[in-house]
Formats: sequence, structure tokens, C-alpha cells
Amino acid sequence: MLDAIDKTVLKEVADLEGLPKGAYNIRKNGQLLGREVSANINIEANEKGDGIVVDIKPGTVDESVHIPVILSQAGLHDVVYNTFIIGENADVTIVAGCGIHCGSDESEGHSGIHEFRIKSGARVKYVEKHVAIGEGTGKRTLNPTTKVFMEENASAEMELTQLGGVDEAKRYNEAKIGAGSVLLITERVMTEGEQKADSKNEIELSGTGSKANIVSRSVLKGDSRQDFYVNLTARAKCYGHIECDAIIMDNGNNQTIPALRALHPDAELTHEASIGKIANDQLMKLMSLGLAYDEAVNKIIQGFLK
Amino acid sequence: MLELKNLRFEAPAGDAGKDAPPLRMIINDISFTFEAGGFYAITGPNGSGKTTIAKLIMGINELTAGKIIFDGQDISQMTINERSRAGIVYGFQNPARFKGTTFRDLLSIAAGTDDENKLVKIIARVGICSLDFLDKPVDSKLSGGEIKKIELATVIARNPRVAIYDEPDTGIDLWTIGPMVELLKKEQKEHNTTTIVVSHNKAFLEVADTLLLLKDGRIAYSGNLEGAMPMLEDLSLCTFSDVCEGEGNVRCYR
Ligand SMILES: Nc1ncnc2c1ncn2[C@@H]1O[C@H](COP(=O)(O)OP(=O)(O)OP(=O)(O)O)[C@@H](O)[C@H]1O
Ligand SMILES: [Mg+2]
Repeated sequence: MLDAIDKTVLKEVADLEGLPKGAYNIRKNGQLLGREVSANINIEANEKGDGIVVDIKPGTVDESVHIPVILSQAGLHDVVYNTFIIGENADVTIVAGCGIHCGSDESEGHSGIHEFRIKSGARVKYVEKHVAIGEGTGKRTLNPTTKVFMEENASAEMELTQLGGVDEAKRYNEAKIGAGSVLLITERVMTEGEQKADSKNEIELSGTGSKANIVSRSVLKGDSRQDFYVNLTARAKCYGHIECDAIIMDNGNNQTIPALRALHPDAELTHEASIGKIANDQLMKLMSLGLAYDEAVNKIIQGFLK
Repeated sequence: MLELKNLRFEAPAGDAGKDAPPLRMIINDISFTFEAGGFYAITGPNGSGKTTIAKLIMGINELTAGKIIFDGQDISQMTINERSRAGIVYGFQNPARFKGTTFRDLLSIAAGTDDENKLVKIIARVGICSLDFLDKPVDSKLSGGEIKKIELATVIARNPRVAIYDEPDTGIDLWTIGPMVELLKKEQKEHNTTTIVVSHNKAFLEVADTLLLLKDGRIAYSGNLEGAMPMLEDLSLCTFSDVCEGEGNVRCYR
């Protein structure tokens, strides 16, 4: 069922050596390639027919769902709307990701909207990786959107990664965080050549005691460009932090715009941002441990994006 | 074994007035030979050039003039990493803070292996670093003492032939200074490491075979600690002399 390209792509986006264990839904070129449900995790097409609903029963613990998307058909622009309902007190891992294999000069792309409804007391770890490989010269675009709605005392950890190959990415993250809930987003993006990546984030701390930590790590090679925006709005006594760092390797161009809005007197919001070349003292340290200049650069970037 | 020949280092004078020379002599004609397996302490007032000498030896600062001979070979033109591979390692006074890179990463680079057992062995050998540090990012969240312990461990992990520690005791608690001195002594003995410690701390000055006293970019004294005592106590080393002795015939008689 899986061909060689599928396997390579699955390995890249979901770290899978074949079909995953547990529940999964694999989509290839706009079609369902395989699906498996479990006793606690149901997956079915949504009513509109433009995506799936992953329904995780309350109290489900230590289970995972894999929902990778493979694109290898020239000229295809796939659009989906997936909904995840994470039941009360569940504790699960969701692995998503889109791998484009481009073999021609025609463009290929994927626009995925992922909506998360995280019920009270639930914990979810969401890992999303975007890659594009293949010798083709067609433009590869990925426009992911995540919408996160957290009830009370829930926790969500989201790791969003795009390391090379994608010509154009427009990301949009939106979250509304209820009382006592914690959201942690870590975005890692590496661009090269003429690539462009754009990330917009609208995060709202709406309940008492809610917390958000938004971390962005960008590496810009070649003439690439990355823009990162976050609006962190506090409507209650809460805590929020934004941390964005960009390393410009060559002639990249970066904008980082963190914005804090406190609409409640007890909100505590902070941000740190930096843009620059690799710090000289870091290079000197690694070279004094025996690494050549280029090796030192690679190590520092690896650590930064890890 | 490591020979400094007429080292000079000049750097832009910065905020000096417009009549001042554009370059300032920071290391002014220093010659000295470090013998294999010796334990040396370098001390001297703030700004006297201790760190600069260390960085010249490591290749971080470029010599203005002079030569550095290591084992009979002129290493003056070698890059930092070439010198490191030849066996010279420098532990920074202000260690770099990374983002994401962990102590494990640094230790693996230094030791040339990421084998868990070997890394654990190195930490045991160093003694003063807890094993819990291993997966800590070496970033701005580490305390001043913690990062200095990590810095020292990365130097030892390379099994250097010449180890230069730049104020390794900064920020180190009272309970760790003794063990740290012992550790460097033990490394020197067991591996015949030529050890150079830049320090203001008596604990290091006392264990050194040879003490170098730097003042204004020159070696004001080299020899044993006893011989250095009169100079160490002499207030001509007062770092405020420029300020209070500046005008006319004013002298410091403290
Ligand atoms: N690259 C440089 N450019 C300009 N000035 C420099 C440079 N490096 C060092 N200096 C100056 O040279 C002097 C000696 O500096 P160095 O760091 O070697 O002192 P030090 O003896 O290590 O002092 P401390 O005890 O404070 O560590 C200082 O006045 C410093 O400002
Ligand atoms: Mg110094």
C-alpha cells in the first residue's frame, strides 16, 4: 500500500517506518490511503466532507493518533478541515504533518486547518512537521492553520516544525485559553534560498490562571524571508510569555513583531525577541573544543532548532 | 613546551581623546616559557591583560607581533580549532551562553563521543558537576557558578595537553573551591597537563609551581609565591593609581 516515496515522506514528517501503531489516518493526494480507529479514538469524515473528525473519548490516556498527509501529485492543491475533540481528562499525543514530494515543475500545496477542542482536564501533545523533498522545481506551498479552544485546567503542548524545502508557508495559529489551562507553542522554522515563511498568531488568555508560552526559533539561510507576528491578549489574571529568536545566516530578511495586550489589571505579560547572526562567543567556544568554523555553525543551528 | 616570544597585542583605544594614539598596547612585549606538566597561576589587576594573553594562546585574539611556539612548532598562524586539536584548550572567563545547546552537546563535542557511559565517566572524573546538568541547556538560565562548572568540565573532557582556565572560581561556592583546586592538581599530576590558571584566589596561587604577575600588559614578576608577596602587597598595583596619581606630583602613599 505504501510506495517508496510514501515511506520516505512518512519517515520525514512522522518519524514512521511504516504504518503507525494505534489510531491513524493517512491522506495521500487528496484521497484516504488508510485509517485505523481504536476503542477510544474514533476517526470519521466530517459532514461537509472536507476533512475528518478525530474524537477522543474522555479519560483516554497514553494513546496516540497519527494523521500524516502525503502530496506527490503534480499540480495538486489539497485543502482539508480536521477537527480534534479531546475528551475530559484524556492524555494523548497527536502527530500530524505534511510531506510534499515534488517531482515536476508544477506547483503542489496543502492548506490544512486543524481545530482542537480541548475539554477540561485534558492534556494533549501535538507534533506537526512540514517538509518538502524531491528534485522537481515546482513551487511547494504549505498554509497550516491551527485553532485551539481550551476549556478549564487543560494543557496543550504544540511543536510546529518546518525545516527546509517549503517555498512558501503562511501559518496562522489562534488560541483561546480557559481558566487554569496552559498552552505551550514552539515553532521552529528554517528557510533557505528564496523561500518565504509567514506566521501569525492570535493568542487569547481568557480564563483566570491561564498561561501561555510562545516560543519561536527561526533560521534564515540564503535570501529567504520570515515574518513572525504574535498578539498575546490577556482578559484575566494570567501569565503569558513570548520568546522569539531569529538567526540570519546569509542575506535573510526577518521581521519579528510580538505584541502584548493586557485587558485585565492582574495580567502578567512579557516578551523577549532577538534577531542577529550567530553569536561570536558561541562560535569561539565550539572552535576551542576542536570544531572547524562550519561545523561549529551547524552545531549551533542544530541545538537552536532542536 | 609552550613558548611566548615577544608577544604584542594592540587594539583600538576606544574613547581616548583625539590626540591619543588610535591604538592601545594591551600586551606589551611578553616573553615566557611554560614547561610541560607545570602548574602556573597568572594574576594581576583587572585590565592588566590576563584574559588577552590566554586568548592569544588559544588563537581567539590575533597577535599584533611576536610568536607562539608549541612543541617546537610555530602555531602563531593556526586557527582556534587547529590549536585545540594540537592540545591547547581555554576555559573562558565569561562562558558563552547558547540557546538550545545542552551540556551534553558541549561535552560530546569536547570528548569526541556521545557515548553515554563515556560522558558519565567524564562527569565523575570532574566531580564538581552534577549528572543532572547533562541535559540542561547551556543558556542564560544557568547560574554564574553552574556555567563555570560546565565550562571547566568541557576543558577537562578534551584531555588537553595545555589547559588554560580563566578565573575558574568566579561564582563558585565556598564548598567547591577546595575540590576544584584538588581537581586541577590531580589532572596535572595524572595526565601531565600543563595547567595555567588565571586567578585572584589565593587557593590557586598557593598550589602553583610558578606565579606570573601581570601589570599593564607586561610580566611584572615570575617565580614562586613567596617572592611575589612583596609585590602583591605593594600598593603600586593599586588599580586606581591612574585616577589618583594623575595630576601633577601626586603620589599614592597608602
Ligand atoms: N579586543 C579588544 N579591544 C579593545 N580593548 C581590549 C580588547 N581586549 C581587551 N581589551 C582591553 O585590554 C585590557 C586588558 O583586558 P583583559 O581582559 O585581558 O584584562 P584581565 O587582566 O583579564 O582583567 P580581569 O581581571 O578584569 O579579567 C582591558 O583594558 C580591556 O578593556
Ligand atoms: Mg580577565
